[in-house]
Amino acid sequence: MWNIELKKIINVKCFRFDPEKDEVPYYDMFEVPINGTMSVQDCLEYIRENLDSSLAFFINCRLGFCRRCLIKVNGKSCLACLTEVKGDITIDPLLKDKVVRDLWVKDL
Amino acid sequence: MKLCDKLITTDLLIIGSEGAGGHAAIEASKSGIDILIITKGKIGQCGASQMAGADFNVDGSSAKKLGFPGDERDSPELFFETLVRESLYLGNQKMVEKYVEYAPKVMQDLMDWGMRVYSYESAHAEEMARGIISSGTLWVAAIRRKIKELGIPLLEDTMVIDLLTTNGSISGAIALDILSGETIIIRCKAIILATGGWHVAYPFNTGPYDLTGDGVAMAYRAGLELINMEMVQFCPITLVWPPKERGSIVLYMLSEIDPFDKSIHLLNKNGERFMQDYDPENMEQSTKEIVSIASELEIEKGRGSPHGGVYYSLKHTRKRFIDMLIKVAEHRIKNEYKDSRYELNELLPELLEKCKTVDIEVGNAAHYMSGGIKVNENTETSIKGLYAAGECSGGLWGSVRVASACTEAGVQGKIAGEITPKFVKSVELPDINSKQVKNIMERIHKPLIRKDGITPNELQQKVHAISGEKVGLIKDENSLKEAVNELENMLYKDVNNLCVTATKSKKLNYEWIRSLELQNMITCLYATAKASLIRKESRGEFYRRDYTNTDNDNWLKTIVLKKKNEDVEISFDEPIITKIDLPKGKLTYQEAIGVTTASLKKD
Repeated sequence: MWNIELKKIINVKCFRFDPEKDEVPYYDMFEVPINGTMSVQDCLEYIRENLDSSLAFFINCRLGFCRRCLIKVNGKSCLACLTEVKGDITIDPLLKDKVVRDLWVKDL
Repeated sequence: MKLCDKLITTDLLIIGSEGAGGHAAIEASKSGIDILIITKGKIGQCGASQMAGADFNVDGSSAKKLGFPGDERDSPELFFETLVRESLYLGNQKMVEKYVEYAPKVMQDLMDWGMRVYSYESAHAEEMARGIISSGTLWVAAIRRKIKELGIPLLEDTMVIDLLTTNGSISGAIALDILSGETIIIRCKAIILATGGWHVAYPFNTGPYDLTGDGVAMAYRAGLELINMEMVQFCPITLVWPPKERGSIVLYMLSEIDPFDKSIHLLNKNGERFMQDYDPENMEQSTKEIVSIASELEIEKGRGSPHGGVYYSLKHTRKRFIDMLIKVAEHRIKNEYKDSRYELNELLPELLEKCKTVDIEVGNAAHYMSGGIKVNENTETSIKGLYAAGECSGGLWGSVRVASACTEAGVQGKIAGEITPKFVKSVELPDINSKQVKNIMERIHKPLIRKDGITPNELQQKVHAISGEKVGLIKDENSLKEAVNELENMLYKDVNNLCVTATKSKKLNYEWIRSLELQNMITCLYATAKASLIRKESRGEFYRRDYTNTDNDNWLKTIVLKKKNEDVEISFDEPIITKIDLPKGKLTYQEAIGVTTASLKKD
């Protein structure tokens, strides 16, 4: 009668860079279970709460109000909170030369 | 030895940059004093104001003077009476008087600063139209523009950790630059706290990620009284599922607007319209509080949806009717409002389209904190030089927030902005106490230095388990006792064992910031649980299943909590009266809230 949920696991390839200690940026791979419609931000939150708490990214209103969670998903600029995850994704910061840490960019 | 990485000196520090803090800064800048705004996010893009509906309130006569259709039969006095009566007499009447007096001034300010207004209509189920409708994003954009135009200094992405006091007066604050990890001492003569609620302490809430009760908790640590902490408003019909839309109140907003209000069915998992059992006369159009409690009881009885809600259903209507609803909504949003909000423009039509075939899971989310820092009608606290405005303050609303919180933010922000320059000009810059600074610095760095202990993620889960199950909408003695004990344990044990594990870097360290925020969330939640346990009645937003009556003979008083070493001192304040005497007698909760039918006792 109600919504039927399909649970699946996706691969998230995530840009990492700490200018203080890394010479060059690199990518980490995470497996994220998808349960119901999830945004890219939901995946990042899952990673930070369950897999790697050192991941830096921006999160605030979650519903498209603050428009500050700009990132790149599969090469395209978007708001992390409004972008639905449908399969494996690659996440990059908006501007790679302005990274404070990981996905958080200066002057965002 | 250097105590902190940076030192800044100013006259007035304002913590929070949006509806209350921003308004205060603009008002105070007229006096020419030095001002610094510190905000945990970025101005115009943080806090709760941006997410507001947003409706503002003014009485009909004043509305007419402002150029709205208005209603001359209405007056500030009538508006005052409505507010006192509907908030069930617990509100501070001096504060309510200021609210109705300043509401038109605040509207005038905002319109002068270029805030566009959508319409003038009835909001909050008022007897007369008193609502001026705009949007949160337009509101904060207008404030942001004005602050930039005035060139008021601003520190963004900076979290204030604690207040500094010298001989009972404010002398400054300690802050942390979230991006660089640098600590900052701010020396000042006065501080306005405008930091909002502690929504994030609840697993299901309608607030942004940064509302962690920082101002309320630092005020408590500095020795200020907190009042009405048990008065937490839960919003029904908030999206529970899926994760991407969780916390959106768009269907609730719609449920208050004609013709949507009359077409909604709320169903339990058996497909029954459960409001039949609670308020058969008004059904889904019953009061917000009754709909919330009824939904919660259905969930408790195992008749909820898989993700802890009930069902919002339009399946009883024809598909063509839903198409018509979508067209009506689109017309208002696109043509009348010219609104570009995702929630209204994209999510809403999507949800309505979905309603043709499935029902939507909705539930009660922590939405507004009516309690907070005890202030008087001039936003003054019991510490000289410390002021509080907006949601972080308590006293205005009594037991139900019956009118606009946006207006509250503006009113109290404006008052604080008017009054603080006078104070600033009357005092010298106090010295700071270096021992106090050292203690705070030690507390800040402790989670970074510790090698093992409880992680912020683990503690956050513990907090949410308590707030979700024991300090939620429906409360009782046993759960509250457990909650108080467990929160006490967290506040005095777990918080000291917090440990940042993933990276010890000071830059943008999520675990570190969350550690500091958790201390604040736990403090607020502890005060909420403690005050809830003390109040042995139900009133407005506060519902206890073991004391369902609204007891005007014994409980028309506010609960005041104050820190005393590692304990809390409890006292009671009589409500402050100016014009309306307090009622006597006991009423059933439904009578008090305006509903006369149905039993809300658990079966």
